Amino acid sequence: MDERTLDAIIARHDAPAGRLLGILGEIQNQEGYVSRETLEMLSEKVGVRISQLYGLATFYSYFTLRPVGDHVITICMGTACHVKGAVAILEALEGLLGIKSDVTDDGKLSITTIDRKFTVEIARCFGACSMAPVLRIDGNLYGYATPEDLPGILGEYGWKP
Amino acid sequence: MIQQEIPGKPITVTINGKEYRANEGEILLSVAIREKIEIPHLCYEASLDPYGACRLCMVEVVRKGKREMATSCTLRAADGLEVLTDTPEIVKHRSILFELYLAEAPKSDVIRDMAARYGVTRTRFLKRIEQGDPLGNKCVLCGLCVRACSEIMGAGAINFINRGPYTVVNTPYYAPSRDCFGCGACVRVCPTNAIEMEDAGAERVMKSWSGTRVPLSPCECCGRYYAPRELSASVLARLDTPLKEEIARLCPECRGKHIAREEILAKHGGSAKHA
Repeated sequence: MDERTLDAIIARHDAPAGRLLGILGEIQNQEGYVSRETLEMLSEKVGVRISQLYGLATFYSYFTLRPVGDHVITICMGTACHVKGAVAILEALEGLLGIKSDVTDDGKLSITTIDRKFTVEIARCFGACSMAPVLRIDGNLYGYATPEDLPGILGEYGWKP
Repeated sequence: MIQQEIPGKPITVTINGKEYRANEGEILLSVAIREKIEIPHLCYEASLDPYGACRLCMVEVVRKGKREMATSCTLRAADGLEVLTDTPEIVKHRSILFELYLAEAPKSDVIRDMAARYGVTRTRFLKRIEQGDPLGNKCVLCGLCVRACSEIMGAGAINFINRGPYTVVNTPYYAPSRDCFGCGACVRVCPTNAIEMEDAGAERVMKSWSGTRVPLSPCECCGRYYAPRELSASVLARLDTPLKEEIARLCPECRGKHIAREEILAKHGGSAKHA
């Protein structure tokens, strides 16, 4: 992220309560992830130790520290979705996109396809349990999902078999 | 950081049926430590505010005939306070905690010995032994090192990373820290001796903190490296004593010799002969 954009974000958050989370949230929204360079620059500008910022960014699943693909697919792995077959959806998705997901040492699951088109992540609950199993692509929710629906859904985002 | 405590008025507290003198507002655990009443604890550090992280120092407070559990490190002494440290409830609670700690820090001798003292020698929980863990599978995540680094030293070089079962303490990005002074406060406060530090020639290596290296400064007299350079610079900037000059140049041992020689010279005059 360039310095001017970061300055603008910092300027929008001047109330002390929740300031850092607000700034980090905007960075995440604009860039799709929080880069090390941006975090270091932010640390300098707001006078908060990088250890504290890194602690925050790794605590909340909302933040991603690695670059993501053009489209982010989040599969809900909450209790209701899990029971209703979220694992089968994740496996089907892995098959379609040709990736193998694995939990990283930070406990987050995030994997990006080689062509950087898609990133697959999991979340613990969207709060949309009535439509379980649920997945989200770039903010659009897809409920009552089945593995068979996936090619059609992915097609909307430029995926080809 | 903790404020300088003004002792409250003298009061009496009852621990296990026996009365003890204490000051009002004093932390009950510190009363127990003073009176040699054994309450196990890991995360209590007198120089930091009470935190109640490790939960081992639980006692039962008797109030109006009812009993409730409380951590004695956050419990303040008040007149007539009555606590019990070894009730069946407490023993049960402590045993479970020791089992959890045995699984959390399977390589820690401190935990193993402490648990054994309370009759817990094995755990039913899954032991998580991680190869190459920078804290040697000894960390219980009490947070004392993080708080000492940030609240006492003002360095903030280390912090908790991740969350839940993946939580660890280390430097951001697991990279050598630029904020670390190499003071070693973390090493001192760690209750399970999990943090490794080593002085190698002109450098101090914080082995547990991603190999952070901090330059040491040598004693002008004996040449021994004795203090982290940046740390002594910042401490000296705050010092106001005639000894400042000596502290800046000499290691504690040579400083002692130096002062002794000055004293002798001042008393007897003339010159001191070197042996």
